[in-house]
Amino acid sequence: MDEQTGYRGGIADMRRRLCRAWIFSGLALLAAMASAQDGAGPSYEDILRGFEDPERWLTYSGDYSGKRHSPLTQIDRDNVAELRPVWTFQTGTTTRGRGFETTPLLDDGVLYVTGSNNYAWAIDARTGRSFWSYRRNLPNDLTYGASAPVNRGFGMLGNRLFMVTLDAHLMAFDRRSGDVLWERELADYQLGYAATLAPLVLDDKVIVGISGGEYQTRGFIDAFDPVSGERIWRFNTIPGPGEAGSETWPDDPAILAAGGGGTWMNGSYDPDLNLIYWGVGNPNPDYYDENRPGDNLYTNSIVALDANNGELRWHYQFTPHDVNDWDANQVPVLADIEWRGEPRRVLLWGNRNGFFYVLDRVTGEFLLGEPFTATTWAREIGADGRPIILNDGSQGCLPDPWGGTNFYPPSFYPGLDLFILTARETCATYVPEEPANTRGQSNFGGTVFIDAEQGSGALRALDIHSGDLVWEFTYPSPTFGGVMTTAAGLAFAGDHEGNFMAFDVENGENLWHYQTGSRIWGAAAITYMLDGLQYVLIPSGTTLTAFALRAP
Amino acid sequence: MVCSLWHLIRCSGFEVDQADQLAGPKKKQTRANRNKNKIIVTLQGLATNSALLLALTVFSGLLQAQAINPLENDPRAARAGGSLFRAQCATCHGADARGISTIDAPDLTLMWVQGSRNDSEVFTIIRDGIAGSIMPPHGFTDTEVWMLVSYLRSVAVTGTMEPIGGDVERGASLFAEQCARCHRLDGVGGSLGPDLSGITARRSIDALLNALREPSANIARRYKPVTLVTASGETVQGTIKSEDAFSIQIMDSEQALRAFMKADLRQLNKDVASLMPEFSAAILSDAEVNDVLSYLQAER
Repeated sequence: MDEQTGYRGGIADMRRRLCRAWIFSGLALLAAMASAQDGAGPSYEDILRGFEDPERWLTYSGDYSGKRHSPLTQIDRDNVAELRPVWTFQTGTTTRGRGFETTPLLDDGVLYVTGSNNYAWAIDARTGRSFWSYRRNLPNDLTYGASAPVNRGFGMLGNRLFMVTLDAHLMAFDRRSGDVLWERELADYQLGYAATLAPLVLDDKVIVGISGGEYQTRGFIDAFDPVSGERIWRFNTIPGPGEAGSETWPDDPAILAAGGGGTWMNGSYDPDLNLIYWGVGNPNPDYYDENRPGDNLYTNSIVALDANNGELRWHYQFTPHDVNDWDANQVPVLADIEWRGEPRRVLLWGNRNGFFYVLDRVTGEFLLGEPFTATTWAREIGADGRPIILNDGSQGCLPDPWGGTNFYPPSFYPGLDLFILTARETCATYVPEEPANTRGQSNFGGTVFIDAEQGSGALRALDIHSGDLVWEFTYPSPTFGGVMTTAAGLAFAGDHEGNFMAFDVENGENLWHYQTGSRIWGAAAITYMLDGLQYVLIPSGTTLTAFALRAP
Repeated sequence: MVCSLWHLIRCSGFEVDQADQLAGPKKKQTRANRNKNKIIVTLQGLATNSALLLALTVFSGLLQAQAINPLENDPRAARAGGSLFRAQCATCHGADARGISTIDAPDLTLMWVQGSRNDSEVFTIIRDGIAGSIMPPHGFTDTEVWMLVSYLRSVAVTGTMEPIGGDVERGASLFAEQCARCHRLDGVGGSLGPDLSGITARRSIDALLNALREPSANIARRYKPVTLVTASGETVQGTIKSEDAFSIQIMDSEQALRAFMKADLRQLNKDVASLMPEFSAAILSDAEVNDVLSYLQAER
């Protein structure tokens, strides 16, 4: 085009060009209107921008890093005591035991929420009133999905929502109507598979994992095309015969094919490195290990996969040869920090085995591993990154199978470099027993006696450079609530007794609490702005409660 | 739905086929497979036995047959059921079937005495689950469900059914004097301690005697003792009904339900001694205890 080179024609030419400009801008306007009517929805670039748009929460942790740290500051340490509920949403379902573990997604004033037993809703973020609801007709012979009938949230891209199901499917919905666009089977649920996590959505892929490591299953991470629903790649968490890692198992294809290694919590993503970080669960059977000598890779590990093809770049195994069901199914937290005087891209991890880890997320190099619980198992990770085991269970109790922490989200507070998580102190005795090894039946391989008298919980803030405890707030029972922090110096957390609370992130002082009426179990808060008002939202039981400083 | 003769024969047939198949010469005998074989063979034996047993029962009354556990008299059933229980049920209900209170999984050892359920109802719950709850239906064969019923029967809390044989009248006056302030019997009495209606059917004589002699040795949840001092200086004793990080809910020794914010309290001490006094033999002789228990049994 010559427009850039300067004036060359007369008035007529100028008119022509002006006219053309009008037409162009008119077309652009029409296109914009069409797209608004079309409601194109959030793009991959929008998800990449994470917290930049305060009126959105587009992926499980708010951004790809897993920090669950919002920049919002309207609610701060001085006014948080005035926080009050502004609406509640109740599912109207009667699920007992395990309710909401979901993180709602927010776009354009609408919350997209999944519930237990594969219910889902679109809700007005200002009033809590629903636009549509969905319930999946689940088969009545669910396996793993019957014992943990939960869901942790949608993934979203454009006008599509993605949800996994208890009968091990991935579904795509139209976000405006709740209509099902397509569904794909991940694995045969009758063998023990199920799916509960929030899909991780990239520009051209929906990444999901699988539950069922308590059954004779083989874990995997799958990438699907968001539009066609075709599977693009699969990474198996248990190697096949002869593949790298198979040397850490007995030379028996049947054992490898049922090695467990669930991937039931969503991972995080580094767009610069194009790496997906994902945690892998226990080997099968959980407690009985006679038939599986070796480290049992890649169980109880973090794997870093090339997003393009699912190929393994590196791995680190937190608990080699696990016999305590200490799944490494936690949210990987990605942070760019100064480490020992050098800028470093790290991965922070509070593990179910009671240790806090810092790894280099480019190479997988082990940088730090320190305990964050009082219970004894190993008290040290050797320089080679392997735990030095002090108590294999023969010298009194160990952390219970629910772990020193679990899948519920922690939060990273930049600047203070604090890793804030909910810790569980427990005492359990493991009694392994050879299981029946029946396909489609749970296969724990023993039992666990938990001493109910010796249990407590705490919200703990760890210095990521040393793993040292900076502060804690104790709870009367082992707790399963997640954490969110905001740049106003606040940490929001939930407890087993149903309290939703705000803490001063610098010293752990409790600044506000509200009794929601049901335990906060596996869920963490989100926050967003609408009409100039900051909301904080927490799921508990079968209720979502929204809080703000005044009525909307 | 309950197990019928037809179901059972079908079950046992199925298991036999399975066992034959596995025992075939072409099958690679991994350790896992060998073990599976062992279990299946046990199942087969049980199923055959039970089919015979049921066949006999059928003659004595076709209608009642459905409510009776066909494996009731087979000691191996409870053992096999125990293995199944530990593999399939213990995650929620605990390795000892006594439930896990923090996840609302009920104590199954109390199933018969509390819900006064019969075997066939327990069978139905295991197989079909409880609608609207997290207890799912299970894909066990009917024989396996009956094994689980047998196991649960074997660990069920049981008390005394035979007459205790003390002086009921003296027991009644002792109860009114010593116990009724805190314990309720058939709707009459206090609430500081547990309701004792029907207690002799749920607890052994020894257990009840121990509870009287050493009440602090084993204090049940919801009866844990506490002493607290309020902001105004009042000292309050009671039992903890619930508690969170900020508040505590108790029944005080005057049997009033009271709640306190922890931050407002001067002191909060979780005591080790139960609010139930120790009834030594000097206060209540073995014979007198026997009379009280006889009264409790008679009132049932």
